[in-house]
Amino acid sequence: MNFYQSGWTKVLTTYHRFAGSWAWIFHRISGLALTAYIFMHIIALSNLQKHKIDGGKAFNEEMALFSSPFFLVIEWLLFAFVLYHTLNGIRIVLVDFANGARYHKQLHYAVVTIGVIAFIAMGYVIFSHQVNKTVAMLF
Amino acid sequence: MQVTFSIQRYDSSKDKKPYRQEFKLDVEPTDRILDCLDRIKWDFEGSLTYRRSCSHGICGSDAININGKNMLACQVLIQDIKKKRIKIDPIPGMPIIKDLVVDTTDFFAKYEVVKPYLIAKNPPPKERFQSVADRALIDEAVNCILCGACTSSCPSMWGNPNYLGPAAMLKAYRFAFDSRDEAPAEHLEAIDTSDGVWRCHTIFNCVEACPKEINLTWHISQLKKKMVEREL
Ligand code: HEM
Ligand code: SF4
Ligand code: FES
Repeated sequence: MNFYQSGWTKVLTTYHRFAGSWAWIFHRISGLALTAYIFMHIIALSNLQKHKIDGGKAFNEEMALFSSPFFLVIEWLLFAFVLYHTLNGIRIVLVDFANGARYHKQLHYAVVTIGVIAFIAMGYVIFSHQVNKTVAMLF
Repeated sequence: MQVTFSIQRYDSSKDKKPYRQEFKLDVEPTDRILDCLDRIKWDFEGSLTYRRSCSHGICGSDAININGKNMLACQVLIQDIKKKRIKIDPIPGMPIIKDLVVDTTDFFAKYEVVKPYLIAKNPPPKERFQSVADRALIDEAVNCILCGACTSSCPSMWGNPNYLGPAAMLKAYRFAFDSRDEAPAEHLEAIDTSDGVWRCHTIFNCVEACPKEINLTWHISQLKKKMVEREL
C-alpha cells in the first residue's frame, strides 16, 4: 500500500512557528551567513598580503573601500548576524547544559532585547564619526 | 456560532493526493474539536476517518493538526482556537493511511529502540522501593500518553526521518532516571548517537505540542548532560 506523505519543505512552511522555531531559523540563517562571510573575509585579507610588493597601495585602497558608507552599513548588518548568533548560541548552551529549557522563552526575549540595544550602540560607534563630520560640514 | 471546518481528506486505496473538504457547523464555544468531528461524521460525511477512543485525553489516539499546530482533538475547545475557520490536518511527518489517520509503525519502532521498560535482573523482595525524591525525578516523564504530537511536530524529524524523536527520548529518560532501573546505561546507549539525543536542536516545537504539558526539551537536556558526564 502506498501512503501519502508531505515533503519536509511543505511541512516546514505550513506548521505554526513559535518563539523557539524563530530562534532556530534565525540561528541557522546567521550561522550559514557567518560561514559564507568567513570565506569572503579570508579572500579579502589575503589581498592585503600584496603590501609586501606594492608598498601598501592595495592595503590603502582596500581600507578606503571598506570605510565607504556602503560598507559601513554592510558591516553593521554583519554585526547583527554575529550578535544574534553569539547571544542565541549562549542561550542554546544554557538550554542544553543549565536549566534553560524551563526558561527558553524568557531567555529568547533577553537575547532579542540585549541584541537590539547592542545593535543600536554599535550603530552609534560606527556612524557617530561620519554623522558628526556631516553635521559640522552643514553648519 | 458558526464555524467552518476545512478538513484534509485522503484515501490511500484510491486517491493520489490529499484534497480539502469544508463543513459549516453551528457550535458552542465549549464544544471540543472531537465533538465537532463526531458531528461531521455522524450527520454529514460518514466516510470521514479519524482515531479516537477514550475521548478524555488518556489513550493518546487523537493527535491531529489544528490550524498548523499539533493538539489532541478531545482536549481542545472551540473557544481555545479563537478562529472562525478551523483547518484540520493529520499530524505531519508520518504517512497518511486515511484522512486524519496516520501510520504510526515507525513512531513505535523508534520507541522500542530505547528499551521502554524497567530493566531489573532480580525479582524484588516484596516491592521495589522508591523514595519521594527519586520519584519526583520522573513525575513529568511518566505522564506521556504516546500520542505522537511531539515527534510529529519536530523539524529535526521532518528533515531526518531516522531521528528517534522527542517521545522516544522522553521514554529513555523515564527509565534511565528511574532509581529502580538496574541498567540505565542500556537506555542511554540507544540514544547516544547522531540519530538520537544529539539530533535535538532545541527548537521547542515538541514542548508547544505536548497535550500533557511535558517539557520534553528539558528532559532531553538532562540526557545530554548525562551523556557528557559519562565521557568525563
Ligand atoms: C561566540 C560565537 C559562537 C557561538 C556561541 C555559537 C554557538 C552555536 C551553537 C550553540 C550552535 C548549535 C545550534 C544547534 O544546535 O542548532 C551553532 C551552530 C552553528 N554555528 Fe555557531 N556559534 C558561534 C560562532 C559561529 C561562527 C563564527 C560561525 C561561522 C563561521 C558559526 C556557524 C555556525 C553554523 C553554520 C551552525 C549550524 C547551524 C545550525 O545547526 O542550525 N558559528 N553555533
Ligand atoms: S510527550 Fe506529550 S506529545 Fe509526546 S507522545 Fe507523550 S503525551 Fe504525546
Ligand atoms: S481520544 Fe483518547 S486521548 Fe483523545
